[in-house]
Amino acid sequence: MMLSFFDQFMSPTYLGIPLIALALVLPWTLYPTPTPRWLNSRLLTLQGWFINRFTQQIFMPINPGGHKWAVMLASLMVFLTSLNMLGLLPYTFTPTTQLSLNMGLAVPLWLATVIIGMRNQPTAALGHLLPEGTPVLLIPVLIIIETISLFIRPLALGVRLTANLTAGHLLIQLIATAAFVLLPLMPTVAILTATVLFLLTLLEVAVAMIQAYVFVLLLSLYLQEKRL
Amino acid sequence: MGGHDAGTQHQFTGFAKYFNAWTITGRRNCVLLTYASIATIALFFKLKPKKEKAIKG
Repeated sequence: MMLSFFDQFMSPTYLGIPLIALALVLPWTLYPTPTPRWLNSRLLTLQGWFINRFTQQIFMPINPGGHKWAVMLASLMVFLTSLNMLGLLPYTFTPTTQLSLNMGLAVPLWLATVIIGMRNQPTAALGHLLPEGTPVLLIPVLIIIETISLFIRPLALGVRLTANLTAGHLLIQLIATAAFVLLPLMPTVAILTATVLFLLTLLEVAVAMIQAYVFVLLLSLYLQEKRL
Repeated sequence: MGGHDAGTQHQFTGFAKYFNAWTITGRRNCVLLTYASIATIALFFKLKPKKEKAIKG
């Protein structure tokens, strides 16, 4: 069977069981749960420090009413970062390369921010669809444009994460294949390609964390707009 | 960047009192009017009776 470069993105199944479920549950098994002890282990302390620091950073500009989203967004960040980073290991499957999963995360959360905004302050939520001081002739045009930009948000959220992860994995596979094929033919070029591969892997580690952060940051910004 | 205008300096009269791009209620009303207009136009074209083509002998 000829393998193509896109086979790595096919959702794996074994005897009819979708293994993506296993891939999604795996991050949960890797993180220790807090203990009732006064002083936790170093790993647990580091984990707690990171989550607290991150939650503080994200929720600083948000009104107290929006702080009930803290658990959701902090856990989403940890979840996405773990999935993205685990996907960089060889022979693993990255669930966040699936558009269905990313849209499944983006659409409900974005919709929740819109519904909350409409429910708490409908006048402001609708009024923000027209920028202040718009010339009269441009009013209908801008309203349509702002409405389209509102509905494009979940699409952009999902596709951004999918495209970044997919492109990164594809590049890694392409350059690794090139380095491997070139090794017997042109060893010097193969070494250069391997160097590029190493740098690309470092970049992908950064992208894995950054894309998870951007996803959560944008959701928090959409929440902030609603001024809960 | 100009500061946020609470709309208190603007003294609108007539139509502009309810539909303007400065006060939050004015902006809301413009948005609702635009949506209602689009819905009306869409409904008009959907419910418009289709002309029967004359059969040429």
